[in-house]
Amino acid sequence: MNNLRIGKETLLLAATVVLAVIGLILYVAAYFWGFFLMAGAAVSYYFSLRIKNGREAAWEDVRGFLKKLSIPAIGIVVAIVFGGLIMLLTGYNPLKAFRALFYGGFVRNWHVSILNATPLIFTGLSIAFAFNAGLFNIGAEGQYYIGLMASTWLGLRLGLPPIIVIPFIFVVAGALAAAYNAVPAFLKVKTGAHEVITTMMFAHIARYMSPIFIRANGGDPATSTHAYVTDVIGENTWLPMFRDFLPRANYRLHIGILIAIATAVFVHYILYKTKFGFEIRAVGENKDAARAQGISIGVNVFRALLFAGFLAGLSGVTEVLGLSHKMFENLNAGYGWNGISVALLAGNNPLGVIFTAILWGALDAGGQYMTRTTQTPNSIVEIIKGVILFLIVARYIYTVLGGKLKKRRSAAVKEAK
Amino acid sequence: MEGLFSILNTELLVATIRLSTPITLAAIGATICEKSGIVNIAMEGIMIIGAFFATVVAYYTGNPWAGLLAGIISGGLFSLIHAFATVTLHLDHTVSGAVLNILSFGIVRYLMVLIFGHPGTTNPIPVGLKAYQWAIPGLSRIPVLGPIFFNQTPIVYLSFVAIIFFTFFLKRMKVGLHLRAAGEHPLALETIGVSVYKMRYLGVLISGLLSGMAGAYLSIENNVSFTEGMTNGKGFIALAAMISGGWHPIGAFLAALFFGFADALQIRFQIIKLINVPEELFIIFPYILCVVAVAGLVRRSRPPKADGKDFMIERVE
Repeated sequence: MNNLRIGKETLLLAATVVLAVIGLILYVAAYFWGFFLMAGAAVSYYFSLRIKNGREAAWEDVRGFLKKLSIPAIGIVVAIVFGGLIMLLTGYNPLKAFRALFYGGFVRNWHVSILNATPLIFTGLSIAFAFNAGLFNIGAEGQYYIGLMASTWLGLRLGLPPIIVIPFIFVVAGALAAAYNAVPAFLKVKTGAHEVITTMMFAHIARYMSPIFIRANGGDPATSTHAYVTDVIGENTWLPMFRDFLPRANYRLHIGILIAIATAVFVHYILYKTKFGFEIRAVGENKDAARAQGISIGVNVFRALLFAGFLAGLSGVTEVLGLSHKMFENLNAGYGWNGISVALLAGNNPLGVIFTAILWGALDAGGQYMTRTTQTPNSIVEIIKGVILFLIVARYIYTVLGGKLKKRRSAAVKEAK
Repeated sequence: MEGLFSILNTELLVATIRLSTPITLAAIGATICEKSGIVNIAMEGIMIIGAFFATVVAYYTGNPWAGLLAGIISGGLFSLIHAFATVTLHLDHTVSGAVLNILSFGIVRYLMVLIFGHPGTTNPIPVGLKAYQWAIPGLSRIPVLGPIFFNQTPIVYLSFVAIIFFTFFLKRMKVGLHLRAAGEHPLALETIGVSVYKMRYLGVLISGLLSGMAGAYLSIENNVSFTEGMTNGKGFIALAAMISGGWHPIGAFLAALFFGFADALQIRFQIIKLINVPEELFIIFPYILCVVAVAGLVRRSRPPKADGKDFMIERVE
C-alpha cells in the first residue's frame, strides 16, 4: 500500500514537470493554449502535495502562496490606478491606453515581451543572487556589455559546429564577465571599497570601451574610420529559433528564454539546495552569525560577485547569439539597470525573477504598442514601473496602514461600547 | 614634453573647478545625509530631477534664477521620498535609492515628452546662469587664484558657501551636532529627547537640496538645456568623493576637485591628441581614478557608526 502511494506521488510530480515544460514552451511561443497545460501542471502539483502532506497542509501551502502574491498584486493595481490618474491629468485616455498596453504586451506583441524578458532574467538573477549575499551588484549593465563584446568576438572567430560552439561561448563569455567583476570583488574583500561605487564605475568603463571594440571588429579597418556596427557573427553560432519546431512562432523568437528559465531554476537550486548557496545566504543574512559558524565572509563575497558577473554576462550572450547577431553602440542598453527592478520586485527569489522579468518585458513591449496606437507617451510605463517597484519593496507600508486600520477599528469598537 | 606643459595652465584649473562643482555639491549633500545615518545612492536621480525642473522653469519664465530655485526645491521634494521610505517605512537604504534613481528617469522622460514633445534634449533656455559670471572686485586680480576662484558663475560661488557653511553646521551648530548624533548613536539622541526621525529627514532633505542644485548647475549653468543622461554617473562619483573625503565637507570638496581635475585633464588630452589612442580611453580615466581613490582611501576614513542602519522607535503606550 505504502509503495503504491509513493508511486502515485512521483507520477504526479513527473506529470507536473512534463506539463509545465511543454505548456511553458508553447505559451512562450504565443501558442496560448499552453496555459491549460501549465494550469494542469499546477493542479497535479497540488495533488502531489496533498498525497505527501495531507489535505490540510496542501491547502495551507496554496493559501500561503496566494498570500505571498497579494502584495505584488496590490502594488500593481495601485500603480495602474496611479498611472491612469496621471494620464487623465495630462490629457490622455487611460482606458484606451491600458487596453493597448495589455493587448500589445500580452497578446499581440507577446514575442517582443519575451525577447525583452530574456536578458532581463539573466541580469535580474545576477542582482538577486548578489543581494542574497548582502551585496548590490548595481553595475550589472557593465557585465552585460562584457557579455556582448565577448560573445561577438568569439562568434566572429569560431567556426565549430553549433552544438559545441554555442555552449562554449556561453561559458567563456560568462567567465569573462565574471573576471571583469572580479576586480570590484577583489577590492571589496581586500580594501572594503563599496561595490555600489566600484561596479557602477566599471559599468561606465565597459560602456565606453564598447565603441573601441566595435570599431576594431567592424568592416575593413582600412576603409572605415568609424564603424558603428560590428560584422555579423557566423551562422553556426546563432541560437536555434522557436520557428524550427513550432511553425506559428514569431520569426525573431529564439530559444534564449528557455535557457534563461532553466538558468533561473538552476540558480534557485544552487541558492537553496547546495552548501555554496547556504553559505551565500548565511553571509547575506547575518555576517557575525556566519562567521561564528566558520563561514568565510571574504571568500563568499568574492564568489557571489563573480557568479553574479557570470550571470549578467549571459544576458549579453543571448542578446548577440539569439537576436542581434552583431554588436552596435548602445545595443539595447538598460538591461542591467532594469535588472535591479526585476530582482527587487521578485524579492530576490530566482524563480520570481522569471515572472517579474516577463512582466517588465511585457510592459515595455506593450508601452511601445500603446504609443503607436494611442499616442500616449510610453514613458508613462516607466512611471508605473517605478510606482509598482516602490509599493512592493516598501512592504512596511502595509504594516503601517494595517496598524492604523486596526487602531481605528479598535477605537470605533471602544466608542461603540 | 612641451605639449604636456602647455596644458598645465590656469585654464585647466578653471575647468577643474567647473567640472568639480556638481560633484562637490552632491558630495557635501551625501556627507550630511550619511552623517545623519541614511545612505543615499539616489543622488544621481535627484540631480536628474533638479536639472530637469531647473530647465523647465528657466525656459518658461526666462529667468535662470527661478530655474535655480526650482532645481533646488524639486531636488529637496524628491529626496523626501527617500526619507519617507528609509526612515518612516524602514526600507533598506540602497534599495530605496536604487528605486528612486529608476523612478527619476521615468518621471523626467514622461514630462519631457509632455512639455517639449520629444525625449533626448530639451529646448534651450533663453539665458543661462553663465551669463551672470561675476568677477569679485579686487580678489579676482590675484594671480592664478583670482581667475580660478573669484571669477566664477553663481552656483560655483554657492558651492563655496556650502562648503564653509556645512563645515560650520556639523562642527558648531546644535542642529548639526544632533544630526551627527543621529548617525553615530541614535538611541542616545532619542534619550535626550531629540527625534532621530526628524534629524534623518533633515539630513536627507539637505542632500536633496544640494543635489538638486548640482543638477541645476549641469543644465542651466554649465549648459543651456537638459539632456537625458547628462549626469553620467556624477551622483556616484560624488559618493566616491564623500568616502575619499572621509565624510567631511572639506574633504569631499578636495576629493571632488581631484575628480574634476582628472576630468578636465582627460578632456584636454582628447583635444590636443598628445598620443594617438581612442578618445574613449581618456573618458574612462576619471572612472578608473574614482575606483582607485575609493579602494585606496576607504580604510583611512570611518563612516558614521549607525550609517545605513535602521532605527525604529517602539512606543509603549
